[in-house]
Amino acid sequence: MYIHYHNCIFPQQTALPGGLDTLLPADGNQLKAIEPSYDGVPPGLLRRMGKAVRMGTGTALPLLKDLRPDGIIIGTANGGMEDCIRFLNQIIDYDEGMLTPGNFVQSTPNAIAGQLGLMTRNQCYNITHVHRGLSFEQALLDAAMLSMEHPHRNYLVGAVDEIADYNYNIDLLGGWYKKHPQQNKDLYEANSPGSIAGEGAVMLVVNGQPEEAVARLRAIRSWHGTNPDDARTNIEAFLQQYTDGNIPLLITGENGDNRLLPYYETCEKLLPGSAVGRFKHMSGEYPTAAGIALWLTCRLFEGEALPHHFYKKGKENTAGPVLIYNTYKGEQHSLILLSKK
Amino acid sequence: MSRILITGIGAFSAIGDNVAANRQALISGQSGIRTLSNFPSRYAGSLPCGEITRSTDELKQSSGIDDPGVTRTSLIALQALREAITDAGLTPEQLRSSDTALINASTVGGMCLTDELYHDANNDGLAGSPFLSSYDNASVTLFLGQHLRIGGIQNTINTACSSSANAILYGARLLRHGFARRVIVGGADSLAKFTINGFKALHILSANPCTPFDAGRTGLNLGEAGAYLVLEREEDCHDKKTYAHCAGYGNSNDSYHPSSISDEGEGPFLCMQRALEAAQLTAGDIDAINAHGTATENNDETESRAMIRLFGTPPPFLSTKAYTGHTLGAAGALEAVFSILQLQYQESYPALRFNEPIVSTGLIPSASYRSLPVTHIMSNSFGFGGNCSSLIFSAV
Repeated sequence: MYIHYHNCIFPQQTALPGGLDTLLPADGNQLKAIEPSYDGVPPGLLRRMGKAVRMGTGTALPLLKDLRPDGIIIGTANGGMEDCIRFLNQIIDYDEGMLTPGNFVQSTPNAIAGQLGLMTRNQCYNITHVHRGLSFEQALLDAAMLSMEHPHRNYLVGAVDEIADYNYNIDLLGGWYKKHPQQNKDLYEANSPGSIAGEGAVMLVVNGQPEEAVARLRAIRSWHGTNPDDARTNIEAFLQQYTDGNIPLLITGENGDNRLLPYYETCEKLLPGSAVGRFKHMSGEYPTAAGIALWLTCRLFEGEALPHHFYKKGKENTAGPVLIYNTYKGEQHSLILLSKK
Repeated sequence: MSRILITGIGAFSAIGDNVAANRQALISGQSGIRTLSNFPSRYAGSLPCGEITRSTDELKQSSGIDDPGVTRTSLIALQALREAITDAGLTPEQLRSSDTALINASTVGGMCLTDELYHDANNDGLAGSPFLSSYDNASVTLFLGQHLRIGGIQNTINTACSSSANAILYGARLLRHGFARRVIVGGADSLAKFTINGFKALHILSANPCTPFDAGRTGLNLGEAGAYLVLEREEDCHDKKTYAHCAGYGNSNDSYHPSSISDEGEGPFLCMQRALEAAQLTAGDIDAINAHGTATENNDETESRAMIRLFGTPPPFLSTKAYTGHTLGAAGALEAVFSILQLQYQESYPALRFNEPIVSTGLIPSASYRSLPVTHIMSNSFGFGGNCSSLIFSAV
């Protein structure tokens, strides 16, 4: 599968080249997306959209101006959380009294793909993968299968999740965010459990044709379970099956949570010659954050230098393959291998 | 290309604890719609629902689960899934193998715990509940995957009311592409304050047992269920018992409105048409339809229009939601199981509570239990967000 176009909304400046050089700070252990003005979306419609739907459609629509995809495939762990909690609060606060349905309809995770189908009058394949920390990876696999089934058709594939009080509080209670104030620029020095919350949307247009592609998805693998030996076995098997061992750049999902660091260090040790990059100080942690690593890889393949603060070790300076390793809470893991051609 | 065969089925709904009990209720026209009783709600004691009568504690006990964070949705799912894998004769080694995939659908997930979720989400000063990682849709899949030690790809799909139809479609494609050699596909949802109040706010819940395709229909009843199928490639089945062949599937978006279907049923028409194309069949080949048939004003009329447009005179059809209620994320898989039963036993079940056809379409669902020759059967599922899917199962 080949990636041809991409767009991203996340907590850093994405519009201009070099926009990532200046790291924008987190506020209250949350990194919130920098949303554009969403020109072209009717204001009445925009007002009714929750943030996830707004970010998802706002990231996709610029890619769909002159292009009609034959499928809309979205990965989102939670979809419209903000609407979900609004409706939940209505139920409890009004003791199941007279409720308004708007938040309920917008709270379903398929609202992003549904809204995109509606706004672009697209009646093609439309699906939403919600497998928590592997939602985006499953969307990618779906799109990869479609690209093999119909190489000449274009597909929109995306990763979207938002921070809402709902998931922030639940994951805070679960111990997944730091209890002390944490600046994102020092995220990796904290040596404590938990990360900082993030959000974002990445949209890609893909097909089965290599001509003028930005990147090629060479392989993807996912697995479940907290056993570090499983991680090692899976990474080793993946490297053996799909690479010749030469991976100039490894991007990991390191997120400042010292409980997860051993997984990433395992991967780094298996690739001692690779430069290592990290991105969650830019995006924060969220279930579909691997989409950001993929988007950064596309920018790199297009010739843009990634900022100094991205690199943990060394610096990538060739056009060789890029491996992304991400784990969500140590329970869900994925490897994504990309190359320029 | 090798055919995709169904080698195991499991179902747990308001009309039965297992597939055989579900079939018996369908044959005898026994509805499972009764007054809500299993959890506190302002609608307990009054709202008709397709409720599984066993309490969550009873389900925990019968499943041998003592994990405090497990939800009703997961327990319902586990029972149906165990039936399907036992039926298919999958061994623990096969489940653990990296070529066994689990594709699950849910729209409620752990939100059946609406009150617990309220406290945790608002972080109202109480300590977190045991359910902090149990609320999302994926929690059901992750529970099943961990409990049964599924070794291959796991995924969760939410396309609202067509979720588990898409889980089946996705699983079949994984097999075709060689990403798995056997897939367990299906879905589960339980009744929840969240969905009851959501559908109530949309004014599409009926105060009475629902009457699909009837002119006087007044809306849907919600239900809860779990249903799973095991799919395997024909080349791997050898002399295994097989039920049917997953012949075709179609997915479309109605792209009309977030919570209702276009007047002419464009999305429903397209997904049925695409399923026929994928199965390389024509409309005349379809012998029976398990309709989406929620009994809302909008669905039954638009689905009827789409069926008339595609089939002219549609083959015998009914909506089994009059028996089970609308089981949301489980509906596609549950109705796939019912379709497979129709195929296996060459029979048709009685549509319940139907009196008069819708004036503009005049369609009359199957009236009584009878034998019916079925070679190809279609099952429809349409959801919010315009997500429409149709599946075709054929005799092996």
